[in-house]
Amino acid sequence: MNSRILAAAAFLAIEFGAGLPAQVSYERLLKAAGDSGNWLTYSGTYRSWRYSALDQVRRENTRLLKVKWIYQMPTTHVVETTPLVVDGVMYISEPPSNVVALDAATGRPYWRYRRALPARINVCCGQVNRGVAVLGDRVFIGTVDAHLVALDARTGAVLWDREVADYRTGHSITVAPLAVKGTIICGISGGEYGIRGFLDAYDPETGNRKWRFWTVPEPGRPGSETWSGDAWKTGGGPTWVTGSYDPEQNLIIWGTGNPSPDWNGDSRPGDNLYTDSAIALNADTGQLQWHYQFVPHDVHDWDAVQVPVLVDDEWQGRPRKLIYWAHRGGFYYVLDRETGKILLGKPFAKQTWAREIAPDGRPVTLPNVDPTPEGTYLWPGVQGATNWYSPSYNPLTKLFYLAVWENRSVYHKGEQEYTPGNRYIGSVPLIDLPEDPGHGAIRALDPKTGERIWDYQLLTKPWGGVLSTAGKLVFGGSDEGYFFALDAETGKELWRQNTGGIIRANPITFLSKGKQVVAIAAGSAIIAFELGG
Amino acid sequence: MKYHFLFLLCAALAAQEPDPSHNPRTSPADVATGAKTFRSHCSVCHGPNGEGGRGPNLAGGRFYHGSSDLELLRNIADGIPGTDMPGLFYSPDRIWQVIAYIRSLAAGGSALPAGDRARGDALFRSKGCFQCHRISGEGGRLGPDLTLIGKSRSPDYLRRAITDPNADVAQRYWVVTCTDNSGTRYQGFMMNQDTYTVEFIDMQGGLHTMMKSDLKDYRVEKVSKMPSFQNALSATELDDLVAYLCSLQPKGDPR
Repeated sequence: MNSRILAAAAFLAIEFGAGLPAQVSYERLLKAAGDSGNWLTYSGTYRSWRYSALDQVRRENTRLLKVKWIYQMPTTHVVETTPLVVDGVMYISEPPSNVVALDAATGRPYWRYRRALPARINVCCGQVNRGVAVLGDRVFIGTVDAHLVALDARTGAVLWDREVADYRTGHSITVAPLAVKGTIICGISGGEYGIRGFLDAYDPETGNRKWRFWTVPEPGRPGSETWSGDAWKTGGGPTWVTGSYDPEQNLIIWGTGNPSPDWNGDSRPGDNLYTDSAIALNADTGQLQWHYQFVPHDVHDWDAVQVPVLVDDEWQGRPRKLIYWAHRGGFYYVLDRETGKILLGKPFAKQTWAREIAPDGRPVTLPNVDPTPEGTYLWPGVQGATNWYSPSYNPLTKLFYLAVWENRSVYHKGEQEYTPGNRYIGSVPLIDLPEDPGHGAIRALDPKTGERIWDYQLLTKPWGGVLSTAGKLVFGGSDEGYFFALDAETGKELWRQNTGGIIRANPITFLSKGKQVVAIAAGSAIIAFELGG
Repeated sequence: MKYHFLFLLCAALAAQEPDPSHNPRTSPADVATGAKTFRSHCSVCHGPNGEGGRGPNLAGGRFYHGSSDLELLRNIADGIPGTDMPGLFYSPDRIWQVIAYIRSLAAGGSALPAGDRARGDALFRSKGCFQCHRISGEGGRLGPDLTLIGKSRSPDYLRRAITDPNADVAQRYWVVTCTDNSGTRYQGFMMNQDTYTVEFIDMQGGLHTMMKSDLKDYRVEKVSKMPSFQNALSATELDDLVAYLCSLQPKGDPR
């Protein structure tokens, strides 16, 4: 009997060819840089370079890029997803909190997970989602009603569904989770609702929580001396953009968001640790190894929710573990990955709030930069000189690429009464000045000095990340709906396509049937490009 | 008897439930709190005292997307599709206070300015405004359509627009001047632009799209083509014209 079943199983496996696709093990994720036919994790690899070793598409042939397929989502929400590609299957999140598995060669869907959501969801800036994580044969999604859900990668069936926090108090999840060894790391959103931020780790098999690191410490814990009274209970510090992982040190390195309320700091005197910070946590325990706070006592909403770019390179003559980080406040930083010590802090865009970053890492702020009831003009604007969209590091050019905003805002200070589930922001700034809207750019920096190498100017301010490749290309997109390829060494435009929808997502690249494909979310579609004829 | 008692009990219970169609937060304290929320979150567009700016005047007590309490609650909570009005993301309690404040603005009296509408209508014709502006299908297409201008602009804003047209020029009316590679010169009103292209309507009503890289010169001036009527109208005439423009409202009563 048993042998007959075994024989039948063997027959099925042989007769129908494929057998089981390889699982996305931790070991495979560790080696993602050498697996460039796939895109296995949010930023491509744990080091988060958003770089691919693929070079079929290169400067000489970029002009031949053509649409391969378009997948249209039935959604009216903004699409911010970074697709993952595993062995011919593309996994995307569809806002608000759905997941779709597509055939990466045709764009045709295999399955869709549709989440039933409560009627009223508190999300500051749209019911968005930035992507999924894959580990083993499971797909993980955080939802705008603040649950973490594990799905069967083959069918989309729900394997477990855990409440991470109460959505009615302004918690939501928009971040793509990060899969590391035996753990799913998941952040939280809600910095405009006075949440108390945290970063969580979950068991991928059971959904049980392994640890929680509170980004706002309770009284008595280290860092609590930077808060006063009960402000810590509503202190913010969300964790809404996927961080990086340093396997050698077993460190999760993640950025934290603004303290709450955003534009009125009267109720929270002190530095407000660990808001607006880079935090390094032991992946097994969630213990804080080090932190660096970009903006102590922030009153401008300058989250440190950028993707930390981990690079091992020489620094002043000796090999060092580095982090490259262009922060929303307009300064570019190099940090030591072992200690969190600042090695460089230099403006990468126009800013009028700090004279410099002092050697101890604290910004030396200029006078009269805080929001006022009448309004304070300041560069950068509320949306920052850059924001959550991903930068890229290319090991061939040794340049750091990012999307930049050159603009200013009027920062107002207003009332700031906390009531659960309501916005807790302390006024609404004038984000865009009609008479002076500023402009955007894709910018290349020398990561060792912060010096600008080239600029590709855009009329409008981009919300799309960048991808760089071994073909010496940088791919980026604009709010105008253009998706373009630039020469990674000079910034010269080599190709562009009007996609017809705003681009507010990060590009990826992978192989489909041996050919390099570049994919981006635009409007409510995923568009895949490959070289034509 | 028993049923009567039940009926009375139900009625009493119902009376304790807040009536969701009417604002339950109208005390002076609610108005004051609503004012604070308004100044922090609404005044950027609607003006510090609701007098209007980029957003409509709210002090006139006329709300064309619905003026019942429940409609105001919905519009403030969820925003108004097809307009720049975003949702406020506050609980109903907080929004009711904002509504109480907005209602208090209109309690002061008549919102329409003094001035003779009929004389303003005649002035609008005699001063040549129809050459560029259109009202209910009549007039030119180069300037803004004024059919419903009284709904979205305050009397002060309109007065300033007539005497100082450069005070606030919408991007749609910025003036594009350019010369293409063949040496042909174009001028028109900006309709759209991006990093690579510009689209405009020329003074004859022709639509153009130009690649910026194909232009020999290209200039955008954020000035109005409308002449100032500062010295062309007496104070009374200006009042009359503003009264006429303010009367250009959607037909019928506000909802």
